[in-house]
Amino acid sequence: MSLTTNRFRIPPPSLILHYWVSATIVLGMAFPLVWMIYSSMKTKKEIFRTPFSFPGELRFEHFYNAWVKGNMGTLYFNSLFITGTSVAIVVLLACLAAFAFARLQFPGRDYIFYVFIIGLLLPQQVVVLPLFVQLREMDLLDTPWALIFPYSSWALALTIYLLRAFFMTLPKEVEEAAFIDGASLFRTFWSISLPMVKPALITMCILNAINLWNELLLSLLFILDDSKRTLPSGLLKFYGYHNVNYSLVFSALSISTVPILILFFLTQKHIIKGLAAARID
Amino acid sequence: MQALLFVLPALIMFGIFVLAPLFSSLYYSFTHWDGLSSPEWVGWHNYKRAFNDDIHLSSYVHVSIYILGTLVVEVFFGLVMAVLLNSDRIGFKLMRTLFFTPVILSMVSAGLLWKFALDYNYGLLNAILKSIGLGSFVQPWLSLPETALLCVTIISGWKYAGFFMIIFFTAIRRIPNSIYEAAIIDGCGPLSSFMHITIPMLRENIVICILIAVTGGFAGFDLFYTMTNGGPYNSTEIPTTWIIKMAFDRNQMGYSIALTVIMTLVVGAVSIIYLNVTKRKDVIDY
Repeated sequence: MSLTTNRFRIPPPSLILHYWVSATIVLGMAFPLVWMIYSSMKTKKEIFRTPFSFPGELRFEHFYNAWVKGNMGTLYFNSLFITGTSVAIVVLLACLAAFAFARLQFPGRDYIFYVFIIGLLLPQQVVVLPLFVQLREMDLLDTPWALIFPYSSWALALTIYLLRAFFMTLPKEVEEAAFIDGASLFRTFWSISLPMVKPALITMCILNAINLWNELLLSLLFILDDSKRTLPSGLLKFYGYHNVNYSLVFSALSISTVPILILFFLTQKHIIKGLAAARID
Repeated sequence: MQALLFVLPALIMFGIFVLAPLFSSLYYSFTHWDGLSSPEWVGWHNYKRAFNDDIHLSSYVHVSIYILGTLVVEVFFGLVMAVLLNSDRIGFKLMRTLFFTPVILSMVSAGLLWKFALDYNYGLLNAILKSIGLGSFVQPWLSLPETALLCVTIISGWKYAGFFMIIFFTAIRRIPNSIYEAAIIDGCGPLSSFMHITIPMLRENIVICILIAVTGGFAGFDLFYTMTNGGPYNSTEIPTTWIIKMAFDRNQMGYSIALTVIMTLVVGAVSIIYLNVTKRKDVIDY
């Protein structure tokens, strides 16, 4: 190693190789997304003749058509409403339960906790069919609640599990002091414990929001009315109706992914932390 | 008793929408039922039928191949990329973010995108093959029984390798640098420090990641449904796609619920066996 710091010295071959290999793989993996976006601006003819090349001119009318024909505004609204409501329910109920499992003594506590753990290990497909019948009897099919209730119930297991672990890492002393000073149990929970777990709550919101936003199976089976669908199942139906109109489907794909990608790049730190948190421990 | 009030709302939701269908599926699996009329008790009939249903049996072969494939293209590739992208030099943070990007897409978007990319006439892959003079390799990738399952597996890798990369990357950052420095002094090359330091130090993470890939593989539905829906000629049929077909295309609710019960038992058994086998019983030598 020389002591002179020459900014313009030639980097060692191993470093060039490291950059070259990494960049090739990463760009190769990211390219299909770029291809999707610029292909939405090509005409059907252009796509057919040269799948690879850039569009001759930038046309944005496909985006408009896809947005209107695909009812994308409605799909976005449905997805937002269903995901938002489910996440709110999960995080609220899971937080209450996780607090009790971590901090309070009551008969059967550990057994009840194990019951929730079952939900962690089961694949969701296991209950989809009986759930379908059950929702039909409850007259909930084809309403947003046919997704909101099952989504939030399924997400409870993982959320309670992770939040409980987080509560366990916090010191008990503050809560005990508040309790001794005469705060009610609920008051202690609301004003003392809840603010302390705020970072974990945000992580849980993000994690659940991504999972539920992307959920396909239930939304495909429990919602039959096209105008009530969420984005994934709506997009799939749209493809079913227009699968020969390539530029239209490319545009619909772009419309449904690009906003999510932008959101991801803006909040990537939290999202990556949230997704990784679910699997570590 | 106040404590129960904290748990009760969650327990009620969980009971109605997870436990109730779980237990009713046990009952329905012993019935002949089209999903509408009243179910009729048939004993073990559905289970016997399941073990004579060739497509059902082959779906387990397909999902096993798929899972083994994902161990390579998701877990192993993710691990390699975690090592490769583990650098503080300029650009590597951006490359990690880009590599992670497919993870946040929905399976439907990823599946449809690749359905286009693999298309025979206007797909990206065939266009690239033609342009580099490998025109003879051009295939209708998703319409051939020989290549369809392989393609779906690789797309799954494209989608999820970033997820495993981040988990391994976080873990690699926790390995003390001094171990690597000592290894370099002892004359250890990059490959042998990967084999003898990185892999043993990440053992716990690797065990968990394999479990995630295996259980996630059994639960895989979205990608298969979007890309091939079991076709061509049932060559990519996996248990979940077959179950949904049986239930909703053929209205055999009783039988398909029996298939879900079998799948639950298989996933449960595989996880328990796996966790017992990988239980730390050996001492690792560094």
